[in-house]
Amino acid sequence: MVKLVDVPEPERTVIAGLDCPTYGDTPFSNVPPMHERHVAIVSTAGLIVRGDRPLLARDVGYRAIPSTVDDGDILCSHVSTNFDRSGFQQDLNVIFPRQRLAELESTGKIGKAADTHYSFMGATNPDALEVKARELAGSMLALGVNTVVLAPV
Amino acid sequence: MSGLAHFFEKEGLATIIVALVREHVEQMRPPRSLWVPFELGRPFGEPGNATQHSRVLLGALTLLDGSGPGPILKDFNDEKSMTDTADNWQFPITLESDSVKSELRSLIPVWKKARRRHGRSTVGISGLSPEQAIEFIDRYHSAKPAPNPKGMSVVARARFAIDDIKALYLEAATAVGNPTSNQLQNWLWQQTIAGAMILKFQEKARTSENKNLQLIAGSLVPAERVISRC
Repeated sequence: MVKLVDVPEPERTVIAGLDCPTYGDTPFSNVPPMHERHVAIVSTAGLIVRGDRPLLARDVGYRAIPSTVDDGDILCSHVSTNFDRSGFQQDLNVIFPRQRLAELESTGKIGKAADTHYSFMGATNPDALEVKARELAGSMLALGVNTVVLAPV
Repeated sequence: MSGLAHFFEKEGLATIIVALVREHVEQMRPPRSLWVPFELGRPFGEPGNATQHSRVLLGALTLLDGSGPGPILKDFNDEKSMTDTADNWQFPITLESDSVKSELRSLIPVWKKARRRHGRSTVGISGLSPEQAIEFIDRYHSAKPAPNPKGMSVVARARFAIDDIKALYLEAATAVGNPTSNQLQNWLWQQTIAGAMILKFQEKARTSENKNLQLIAGSLVPAERVISRC
């Protein structure tokens, strides 16, 4: 798979038709050098911790996934059937590379891997996420996070 | 994803998107994106390829070194796949074929083997055991449905029970070898009783008068698999 044109139908039409609002500007925040970055991962795979209430379709909330949670207790509640789950089932790092990020911290390439990462439900109107997204940004900044890797599925 | 980038940046938090659909980031123009040429569901590459995951992650973080203004969109240069995939992959054993319950019984040992191989399982979102999940869907439209434990609506329970059944079967199928996602999907939907049961459930949900069931119908079976069975 390379570009949208390579996605089989009918998914291609579904993906092409997803609501993609445009914004009048492209805000661009400053970031410190690599070795000073405090990095969090935010996934839109609808990830939850085992036992939590799953994220549902059009759910605008997010879930926190502390680093203390075992890989085996991270589940996917995403509503879409149109992406491969077998990669995630075999290896969490395929969609949520927190282990790889921790390695970058231990080798000194980045300053710190965040203690907590987060997940929203994808396939949601982006504008509906604004309130919770801004709330989460404030929480992460308060924890010292200065860089976010956004990971879709 | 681009919306999240926009709102985070507005609050002063720097972001980088690992983008799977290039057309979406071209349209929404988030500040920084690294487009990766992997299939949907695998933004950091193939399972078990830690080197590839690290390359994608570092490639993304390196993109933050550049100064603005955005949008910055770069393509990730993929290396050759490290995984040997089999052209003629088959499920490792012959499953029982008397009923969906007997099929499940024969699949469980293979699933346990896969769980040991991968060090974890993603089954369990419904809160039901594999046997209960199969029972729940098998009897859903019968005169005597299986009981629904507290904490989740019956329709939500059905959706997540189906998620668990699919996860169970797909995990079992990766106990041995490295099948492609397409091989796994072909097997689940064309060769298993559980796949046929879910397809039947999906059709009933799609045509149900229960609006909540109708709503989950699109979340049960990949669209091209519904069509391929017609």
